[in-house]
Amino acid sequence: MYRYNFLYEFKLLLRSGWMQILSLLLLGLFCFATINGNQKVLKRKQDIHSAKVEVKESDANMLSLLDSVENGMEVSASRWTIPSSPTAVGNYYPRVAAMDPQPLSFVSTGQSDLFTHYVKPTMAGDDFTLNFTEIISPVQQLFGSFDLAFVIVYLLPLIIIAFSYNILSAERESGSLKLLASQPISIHTWVLQKISLRFLLTLILTVIILTIVFVFLVSGNNFKGLFDVIITTAAYILFWFSLAFAVNLRVGDSSKNAIVLLGLWVVFVLLVPSVLNQLGNTLYPMPSRTLMINKMRNLKEEATEKQDEILDNFLRDHPEYALNDPNQSRQFYHRYMASQKLVKEKLEPVTLEFERQLERQQALVSKFRWLSPAIIAQESLNILSGTSTADYENYRKQVIGFAETWRNHLTPLLYNNEPFTSSKYGELPSFNYHPIRLKNNMIASLIIMIVSIGIGFVAYMIAFKGNVSKLIIS
Amino acid sequence: MITTDNLTKQYGETIVLNQLNLNIGANEIYCLLGANGAGKTTTINLLLGFIKPTSGSAFINGLCVSEEYIKTKQYLAYIPENLMLYPTLTAVENLKYFSGIGGKNLSKSQSEDFLNEAGLQKNAFNSRISTFSKGMRQKVGISIALAKDAKSLLLDEPTSGLDPKSSNEFGQLLHKLKDNGVSILMATHDLFRAKDTGTHIGIMKNGQLRQEYATKDISLPELEQAYLEAMNYKEFVS
Repeated sequence: MYRYNFLYEFKLLLRSGWMQILSLLLLGLFCFATINGNQKVLKRKQDIHSAKVEVKESDANMLSLLDSVENGMEVSASRWTIPSSPTAVGNYYPRVAAMDPQPLSFVSTGQSDLFTHYVKPTMAGDDFTLNFTEIISPVQQLFGSFDLAFVIVYLLPLIIIAFSYNILSAERESGSLKLLASQPISIHTWVLQKISLRFLLTLILTVIILTIVFVFLVSGNNFKGLFDVIITTAAYILFWFSLAFAVNLRVGDSSKNAIVLLGLWVVFVLLVPSVLNQLGNTLYPMPSRTLMINKMRNLKEEATEKQDEILDNFLRDHPEYALNDPNQSRQFYHRYMASQKLVKEKLEPVTLEFERQLERQQALVSKFRWLSPAIIAQESLNILSGTSTADYENYRKQVIGFAETWRNHLTPLLYNNEPFTSSKYGELPSFNYHPIRLKNNMIASLIIMIVSIGIGFVAYMIAFKGNVSKLIIS
Repeated sequence: MITTDNLTKQYGETIVLNQLNLNIGANEIYCLLGANGAGKTTTINLLLGFIKPTSGSAFINGLCVSEEYIKTKQYLAYIPENLMLYPTLTAVENLKYFSGIGGKNLSKSQSEDFLNEAGLQKNAFNSRISTFSKGMRQKVGISIALAKDAKSLLLDEPTSGLDPKSSNEFGQLLHKLKDNGVSILMATHDLFRAKDTGTHIGIMKNGQLRQEYATKDISLPELEQAYLEAMNYKEFVS
């Protein structure tokens, strides 16, 4: 039966124009989404490049000023910014700590339109960490960006629904089902074969279109990435076809099928992710950033009032600085950096709470993500793209680490009252982003596939054991 | 052979078919007459296994339909009132598809032979069904039955809506099938066609088989009179 079912179903689809419409629609959506995603990646690369060029120019200026100072010449710059002072280098000639886009970043914008891609940590403090915010924009999450992940997670299920909602009901409504059912075949098996063919066709079309997109619209051949995207997409497509199969066997006429499937789309794609996001915010609210900034300001003010005392305590803790400075000359920045350390220590519980709540929110979403394959698919694509929350968290931690390195590199010069010289330029630390190797999305895709087959199997068995007249005579 | 043994179907309190006993042998065309709701289509649905009987049994070629749901279909062909085939496929393709899913692979020439035997004009073989009249679609339906080599044929008001010529051609086709040893059960409102085509006639009312005749034993006016009496249409009974 399957040979005839496949052959003639294919003919029917071709002649009804469905295949042409589906192919063009998928090609159009995938191409537009890829171009859109590429544009975002390009903008991100340009932003990072501009920041790096800016630093290069600033470094050239710094070296020129250092050269003048070292040759005993007068320089026309504010004394705070003359790079012979280590704090001037630390604050006015920072490095760029950039998170370069990954090869598949065009696939999913993920968190990249919510977080920053580069920062310039200074010696003066960790205010830059406020640029890393939690995700609290459900609207942004709801509509996302028009990238490949959006097409796959949001739009592809709608196309699948339009392609499969009436496989059985259309036959019943047109009157051909009775003639079919009078043949020595099982109607359940017939529906299964018909929907399997449509699944295969959709999958093949998606694979072809994704390959076209990756080969012609994306620079660099990333076939491993293409394979990973295909596996995630295949699992997600299978899930929606399984649901369509179950609905075809369980529900009645075409309009009811369409409503039920659209309802499921709303639940899995919109409702569950939104509810989980809201639940995370309600159960684990993030500490107010305004309060955090206020607290930071108050602490700084308090520290300013007690700067002498703080510096004394600091030098007591760091006798190496006191010993190496025979003049014991203490300026503004000596006091400021010592107080900054104290501010940082006192702020730690607040920043830790911030991180902890974010971790709790993510743990909640991670625990309940199995409620919606849409979340899993989106997460998998974000991971492949290097734009997941975990990627940005990794980047944030690396930047904080680099800021510490930057500070630690220049602080001894400050307290030892040593000048910064052009010979020390080459020793300045630089930032290199190391992407994390996240969990492989294959397991999640495999689980979705198993669940989908399970849904199909249960629906098949229920229909098989049930009354066949329900299928044939509505 | 088509047999029913005290076949009964009940929905809640309503009995739609009450202890029907039929025995249609090879070379027989049994025409079931009756008003709408008499139980004709229910009988056919029960024989097809589309619905399950409340009590009693239906048999096709000696196989119980309830127990051998798929197997009985191998010996059975069915033509509904409005035969809906796939409009974008041609007559040959429809025939090949319905035969193919039933396990019978037909070549193009074999398909054309069956369509020819069913009386379809040659120039329509490769035309899409969407361009066909109801009579032409019924002929494709017959060709599906011929290709299946079914020993039992169930027809649910197959001539309703057909013009007299098409209806007559259809009757002749049924005779041909009957002569080839096929058992035919035809539900119809058409007394003339029943008398002309059938070998036996049964009149049903409210789910019960009220009267049975051999067509050779009854004239058309007598059949009409018997039908009106059975239906209790007193104002028309002479």
